[in-house]
Amino acid sequence: MSQTVEQVQGVIQKRYAAGFTTDIESDMIRPGLDEEIIAMISAKKEEPEWMLEWRLKAYRHWLTMKTPNWAHLNIPAIDFQALHYYASPKQKNRPQSLDEVDPKLLETFDRLGVPLHERARLAGVAVDAVFDSVSVGTTFQKELKEAGVIFCSMSEALQEHPDLVREYIGSVVPHTDNFFAALNSAVFSDGSFVYIPKDTVCPMELSTYFRINARDTGQFERTLIIAEPGSKVSYLEGCTAPMRDENQLHAAVVELVALEKAQIKYSTVQNWYPGDENGKGGIYNFVTKRGDCRGDDSRISWTQVETGSAITWKYPSCIMRGERSAGEFYSVALTHNHQQADTGTKMIHLGKDSTSKIISKGISAGRSNNSYRGLVRVAKKATNVRNYTQCDSLLIGKTCGAHTFPYIEAANASAKVEHEATTSRIGEDQLFYCRSRGLDEEEAVALIVDGFCKEVFKELPMEFAVEAKALLEISLEGSVG
Amino acid sequence: MSALAEKLMVTPVDETSGYDTIHELGQQRLMQYGFPDMKTEEWKYTPLRVLEKRAFQDPIEATTALPSWPVDGVVLHFEQGVLTSDPATLPEGVKLSPISPDLLGKKDYDPLYGQREGAFGWLNLAKFKQAWHLEITGDQTVILATTLSKAFEAQVHPRLLIDVAANASLKLIEDQRDQGQGLINIACEINVAEAARVEHVICRQNAESVWIQRTDVDVAKDADYRVSAFDRGGRLTRHDLNVHIKGAGANGEIDGLVLLNDRQHVDWHTEIAHCVGHTNSREAFRFLADGSGVGVLNGRIHIHPDSDDSHSDLNTANLLLSDDARINIKPELEIYSEEVTASHGATIGQLDEGSLFYMRSRGLTEAEGLALLKFGFAAEPMMQIQTPEIREWVLGQLKEVL
Repeated sequence: MSQTVEQVQGVIQKRYAAGFTTDIESDMIRPGLDEEIIAMISAKKEEPEWMLEWRLKAYRHWLTMKTPNWAHLNIPAIDFQALHYYASPKQKNRPQSLDEVDPKLLETFDRLGVPLHERARLAGVAVDAVFDSVSVGTTFQKELKEAGVIFCSMSEALQEHPDLVREYIGSVVPHTDNFFAALNSAVFSDGSFVYIPKDTVCPMELSTYFRINARDTGQFERTLIIAEPGSKVSYLEGCTAPMRDENQLHAAVVELVALEKAQIKYSTVQNWYPGDENGKGGIYNFVTKRGDCRGDDSRISWTQVETGSAITWKYPSCIMRGERSAGEFYSVALTHNHQQADTGTKMIHLGKDSTSKIISKGISAGRSNNSYRGLVRVAKKATNVRNYTQCDSLLIGKTCGAHTFPYIEAANASAKVEHEATTSRIGEDQLFYCRSRGLDEEEAVALIVDGFCKEVFKELPMEFAVEAKALLEISLEGSVG
Repeated sequence: MSALAEKLMVTPVDETSGYDTIHELGQQRLMQYGFPDMKTEEWKYTPLRVLEKRAFQDPIEATTALPSWPVDGVVLHFEQGVLTSDPATLPEGVKLSPISPDLLGKKDYDPLYGQREGAFGWLNLAKFKQAWHLEITGDQTVILATTLSKAFEAQVHPRLLIDVAANASLKLIEDQRDQGQGLINIACEINVAEAARVEHVICRQNAESVWIQRTDVDVAKDADYRVSAFDRGGRLTRHDLNVHIKGAGANGEIDGLVLLNDRQHVDWHTEIAHCVGHTNSREAFRFLADGSGVGVLNGRIHIHPDSDDSHSDLNTANLLLSDDARINIKPELEIYSEEVTASHGATIGQLDEGSLFYMRSRGLTEAEGLALLKFGFAAEPMMQIQTPEIREWVLGQLKEVL
């Protein structure tokens, strides 16, 4: 009992350093979900009429749907009428530049290590920062504009480039796709929009940082990336939320469109608040991410490091429509305490000579459950398709679970599909060797886990790889002994 | 009630059979859960349209000639789901009697059959006419020959419980031949007691009948259960094979080979559950899909909590031999213990062009080369059959088909 309250809090802070709250006045619309609320969100964003119609259509469809229960998850009932569907930090006028943004907001992102201001110049990454339901600022817009790249918030895109949005929104993830995609289509409040023109290599990494701050809210962002023929872009995404006792909902939709010979690389480090040691609080992360390799020779690559969230339900997918198109999925999912994750990918091969690769690493500790769920489908007309899947699970502790549910559907005789999966604990011999070299048990586990995840980390942009490694180490603290 | 339920559930419960309580339970669960459809996860690749379209007649008497088997043993012949052998003439160590209603009633079927996904298990409980209890002691060979004649257009629901006593040894051959167009829905439970050994071989050749079977095996401490299934396809076949390893030191192994051709659909759902630690299991399954055949394999390894030192491996390799054939596989791992090793590997591919070229360069025709390659691929899981005579018999049949 010698530990003081401060020491305990210090440890908690260390475990989830992003768990602070920003004391800022919020502009919220009343809780509940009905057509009036949707009209209010649309009005607040000054959206064109067709957008409101689109939202209402999605909402009416959502009313006919049931919460999915097929995942290996125990999802408590969510009261969709108790949530606030729109919350934004109060600002008198829409800021025209980052200098006009409330310093408290800037401070928040600064504390989270997101380079919004002068540091942005050093980091060389363009950032769109989303706070609750709105984007607070996007950096480097001018520089990107010179290259012809559009990188802005979804709200801004609806004002400035409505035709582009209208052409592509919902074309990869239609509102009828699933329960949470329908909900998002009805109430999405912001997100990022990226357009890379023909034969353009985006001059810098693009990044969005999502932050939930307000209480009793859900975050429903929508991201749309369009890569015109011959273009190339790398996009990074990060997210955090304060530590709260109640659960909060995050239901995002990400749509990627890669046209002929275009390449999109989408990396995520997901660090939503996972809840405390007893499973109280945390974010429900129900996300639909899908990329459409529409053109021949196009390529979409998903890399994700999932350490946060109380419940993760997420399957970043690729549809290989173009000939010789390629899809990749690299994932590390770590669950600890009472976290639950059901994550994986779908690789749908429609085009001839298309290829896909899946590398998934799951680590379960504490009382958590971690599932890989993946689908590889080879359509009847897709000849010479090649897929390779590897999913490995690591168990740390006796009370956790690691599961693998791969679906393989082959309808073309020339398909070559390979899948392998293993589940094991950390090798005693590896642990013993590390300890004999002077590492303590926790360091040894961190080192072994790092090695286990290496294949995925090497796919991440350098800054993210460092962050991901540190996150894993922190998330694993207390899992040994 | 769905059309399928109406079609299959018309007969009222017969209160004079002694099985009325268990029939009622089956009927009640079936009414409660209904039959699976494409949205039922366990049935997503196997539609029941064939069954829905089919009209069933009353069973008629027929006699099908039996083939010969490579080993001597007790032959129990089930003609159209009804036992025709005389249980009184069995040798010592093999006892066959109707299952007592008490014994049937004791079992908790809910965790075994679940809900909608186990509808055919419930249907069997609701409608079986005969339920036999086979008890084995000592070293025995039993051949269960199930035949459906050409005129078979009925629905039958045979039920069998096999108890293999401690330290006993059983060679069990299930020879299943269908020439009809009805529905056979078999439920078989096998209890392998402590230190007993069972070598189980299933040889199946179906025609137009819908063949639904579930085999639930409990393996006790230090016991050994190995099953090899050679399935030559059928209009619609679904086999749920569940091996529950319940005692330390026990071993469970499944080997399977499925050959598919035009208008055939075969779905195997296997589960190996490690309920305790210090147990081993292995599974290897191969599909060769030709014509417009559809093959489905759902292979699950389930390691329960506190089952440390469990080791399991599942391997499935599959060949797509035609543009219209399809293969859907789902190897699952569900692991709740730490000190275990569990793995699975799955591949779908084609015959190796290089090997075929080599064979042709050695003077073989393309057809001969293909047959040889297919045989080499298909024979591997069947090589695991322990008894040489049975192994050669199965391989002989395989050669004939390829």
